[in-house]
Amino acid sequence: MTSSPSTPTPSSHRAASFRLRHLCAPRAGRAAAMVQLGSRLLRGRGGHVIIRFALGGCTNRPFFRIVAANSRRARDGKYLEQLGCLDPLPNAHGEKVAGLNLERLRYWLGCGAQLSRPAEKLLGLAGFLPLHPMTVTGAERLRRRRQREQQTEAAPADGSAETDTGTGTGTAP
Amino acid sequence: MAPRGSLLLLALLLLSCALPHARGQHWSHGWYPGGKRDLRTPSDLPAWGPRAVPARGRKTRHDPPAKSKVGRVKMPPPVDPEELLVVQERYRQYRLVLSALRAEFRAEVLQKKREERLIAEGLPEELEEHRRLMAWNEEENGRQRARREERLRREEEEQKRRKSEIAEKQARKMEAFLEEKEKEVLQLQEEAKNFITPENLEARIEECLDNPRNYNFAIDKDGRVVKRTVLS
Repeated sequence: MTSSPSTPTPSSHRAASFRLRHLCAPRAGRAAAMVQLGSRLLRGRGGHVIIRFALGGCTNRPFFRIVAANSRRARDGKYLEQLGCLDPLPNAHGEKVAGLNLERLRYWLGCGAQLSRPAEKLLGLAGFLPLHPMTVTGAERLRRRRQREQQTEAAPADGSAETDTGTGTGTAP
Repeated sequence: MAPRGSLLLLALLLLSCALPHARGQHWSHGWYPGGKRDLRTPSDLPAWGPRAVPARGRKTRHDPPAKSKVGRVKMPPPVDPEELLVVQERYRQYRLVLSALRAEFRAEVLQKKREERLIAEGLPEELEEHRRLMAWNEEENGRQRARREERLRREEEEQKRRKSEIAEKQARKMEAFLEEKEKEVLQLQEEAKNFITPENLEARIEECLDNPRNYNFAIDKDGRVVKRTVLS
């Protein structure tokens, strides 16, 4: 189906505006594909604003942008607004640096944006939201595991020390 | 196609045999970053970071499961019930706080929109009026809150007083009951002195036989013994 620039198709208003603004083949082709295949971004299908991490950077060098986007968009695709960034690799001082635009965050949350789990955890650690339950639970589990490891280390060490002293005292006199 | 396929298979087999088993590297993925002798484990890499290896390998999601997996039963991960309860409680509180925050932010956004609209319409008096009304509303809320708290405090005191009264009454009842029972017991103990037991059976029988009593009399309605009847 060849769509001329002037005829309005049943696809979204966005497609029409695109065609009016950029009269180029790819857009028209995409509009045609949209009508035929049913684009995942068509209106009438749902979708909500979500605040999540968009991955950028290079191989072995990730970099996250904290972004408010439509949930149906690709992870690194077009977003509504960038609300911050996060560098997951620690810097020279051993810190992981993140920047947040709290003013706009409040705005988007007031408009009803959802948060992805990593975004919730980051904001909890930043103090903007309460700490996420799994952060606390994870820390508890780690602490318990370390204690158990310490105990198991101490127990064999004590056992070996006792056997050594026992044999030493046994053989001395 | 078949001979080419078998050749390919042979070549791949040779390749897999030739390669050393460094970190469990898979032939179809090429070399993992870090090199042959890299000792990093998946636990060192962050879970939300990019994976060195794609999650799906040689097969697509439309291929059937392998014969070795025919009897495989996937069990869910083990869950500690105490920890689960604790975590559920934490989640509940977290969601409560989050929804309250969202409500606050929503109110902020609406307020800002309203103000902008009013400023755009050029009516500062409306703004002023709105602020005044909001202040008055806050005042009224405060006053009602004070009254409500007073009422609640009084009701609580009333409840406490009633409860203490009930408790006192109960205690008194118990005491009375115990007293009564004690009295009964003492009475019974006293009466027990006059009981006929196997030991003093003989003595009592002798006593009865020695003192015969005559019960052959009448009594009137007031309980007095009648000495003589009316002369007919």
